[in-house]
Amino acid sequence: MQAALESLLRARKLDVTLTSAAGRTDAPPARFAPRRGHLSEAIGAPSTGRTTVVLQAIAAATARGELAALVDACDALDPASAAAAGVDLARLLWVRETGDAARALKAFSLILQAGGFGLVALDLADVAPATVRRFPWTTWMRVARIVEGSDTVALLVAGERVARSPAGVTIALESPAGARWSGTGPRARVFRGLATSPRIVRAH
Amino acid sequence: MRVPSYDDLTPQRGSVVGAPTTLFACLYEGGDDVAMSLGDVRVTPPAVAIAREFSPRIAVAGPRMVIVDVSGLGRLIGAPPVIAAEIDRAARQAGIDVRVAMAPTQTAARLLAIGCPPRMVVTGDVAAALAPLPVTLLCELEALPGGLSPRDRARPFDTLSRWGIATLGDLAALPPAALSSRLGRRGVALQRLARGWDPRPFVPDADPPRYRERLELEWPIDALEPLSFVLARLLDPLSAALERADRGAAAVRLDLRLVDRSTHARVLQLPAAIRDARVLRTLLLLDLESHPPRAAIDVVAIETDPAPARITQFSLLERALPSAETVTTLLARLRALTGEARVGSAGLVDTHEPGAFEMRAFGVTARGAQAADRDAASPPAVTLRRSRPPAAIRVRADGGRPVHVASPRRGQPSGAVIDAAGPWRTSGSWWQRTRWNRDEWDVALAGGAICRIFRDRDTGRWFMDGVYD
Repeated sequence: MQAALESLLRARKLDVTLTSAAGRTDAPPARFAPRRGHLSEAIGAPSTGRTTVVLQAIAAATARGELAALVDACDALDPASAAAAGVDLARLLWVRETGDAARALKAFSLILQAGGFGLVALDLADVAPATVRRFPWTTWMRVARIVEGSDTVALLVAGERVARSPAGVTIALESPAGARWSGTGPRARVFRGLATSPRIVRAH
Repeated sequence: MRVPSYDDLTPQRGSVVGAPTTLFACLYEGGDDVAMSLGDVRVTPPAVAIAREFSPRIAVAGPRMVIVDVSGLGRLIGAPPVIAAEIDRAARQAGIDVRVAMAPTQTAARLLAIGCPPRMVVTGDVAAALAPLPVTLLCELEALPGGLSPRDRARPFDTLSRWGIATLGDLAALPPAALSSRLGRRGVALQRLARGWDPRPFVPDADPPRYRERLELEWPIDALEPLSFVLARLLDPLSAALERADRGAAAVRLDLRLVDRSTHARVLQLPAAIRDARVLRTLLLLDLESHPPRAAIDVVAIETDPAPARITQFSLLERALPSAETVTTLLARLRALTGEARVGSAGLVDTHEPGAFEMRAFGVTARGAQAADRDAASPPAVTLRRSRPPAAIRVRADGGRPVHVASPRRGQPSGAVIDAAGPWRTSGSWWQRTRWNRDEWDVALAGGAICRIFRDRDTGRWFMDGVYD
């Protein structure tokens, strides 16, 4: 049933919304493939798996031999988590900001302009949404123009929709089932992971 | 021993070079400890610097030995004994213990420096001066091909010892034809050395070129924009000189003499040899933006440390990486924007301390694609977003178990705890300032956030360590 629905949507070339990996709620979206030369975004509330998705995208880039960059607006990256996700830390340029979103955005632009990176991510997840909304829409147009035609994937991480290129991808993450726990006793509970439900939105 | 006067100096008979009258000084380090094994200590730079004070024509002749061509210094300094005394005095002032020997040939100077009293000058009969010296001194002067075994090296000297030839004079007195028939060409070469003859002309070591430009300004400048033009004017010829020598700059030193007579010095260590003038100028300007001089600038001097130019071989099968110039410039711009210690690569450290890491320099290394270490079917690792530094929170606990989390910082998760796992006790580095001692909890809050919080057992305070995402 689901496969038939997906093929029908693709045939009509409508605004495709694909729910991936039904039944495997803790797996990353199987079809999350942000396109090179475009601006994409991964959005969601806290504990919905945004950071996991981004780190896995970075890990895939470094595994291919590419360089990756992460502009961390609030200095939230945990190197141990990144290494566990498969990121080659030596190939990840980490820019640590202290909450200044404007400066983080400037660093993001500098890295995109320099070029040569396979994936460049700007993590605005811990920045107040009101601060991000203050950036004029032309800001994101300029970012999309910088990355257009290059081999670089530009990725934004935020709590709500920010911006993407017309051919970019938005992956909206939700966690309707919450966390996965094991053990029943008060002192025998173990946190096993997040139960996320990703939703990919494309323009075409 | 009689020291002939400088007037008695005659062209040295038997010199292979057949050159006009020459005089060489040999500086031999090591003092009186002749019994030390030669070849275990290299000539130290101060000895070379002292030699260069007297003549630009110097050659490092072997372990602990520098040969200086002092021909012609008679008019500047005086007779050869005076020259030797001056060299000895300069060495003592530099705190170096050297023997100084002077002779018309390099070989004689070297042998006299090793085997004679600390200061020895011979300008007349070299053979007579060398005669009493032991024949074993020739061991270090022989230029033998590599791979020769110690037994083969010692073979002619064993033979000479059996013949009763103990001194250079004894060896020099042997008939060359008979020596050749018994010891071959090597024996003849040893006899020439024993007579003080040079086997090859003196070839001074080339003075290492310095890549340095300097400009005195007509009027002081105190802004970066006009300084940019001055740097361009200095860096263009430097870059051209480096390119001609197939060199790049491994480090750049910028000395700005200020109007208050102080010097503002900056040194940039480059990750790769770079000679592009525009890139070097950009890096210097970015550095000066972060470390501006405190007064106007009078004199600008730039010097680069040359390094062999790198050879970059791209692969047809791998994605091209950005060039070293691009990465270096980008990192300089990012450091100027965010600060020195906030740009780089993260590195894990060998410790149990939660969240420990170190910042390392980010560099471009060509490495092929790697196979994924983790099984694609295995569930992904749980990722933590750190609160750096850990934010203080208020936690209401019931029986030691957190039931409510309140964060005074806006945007941080707060709310009732609907599920919790813990406590997980961890501690360490109790003997250091970075000690930690805490109980960690994984809590699910009513708003949907899943966090790691901990209670510091030393202070009793609660902190937010991070959010699982």
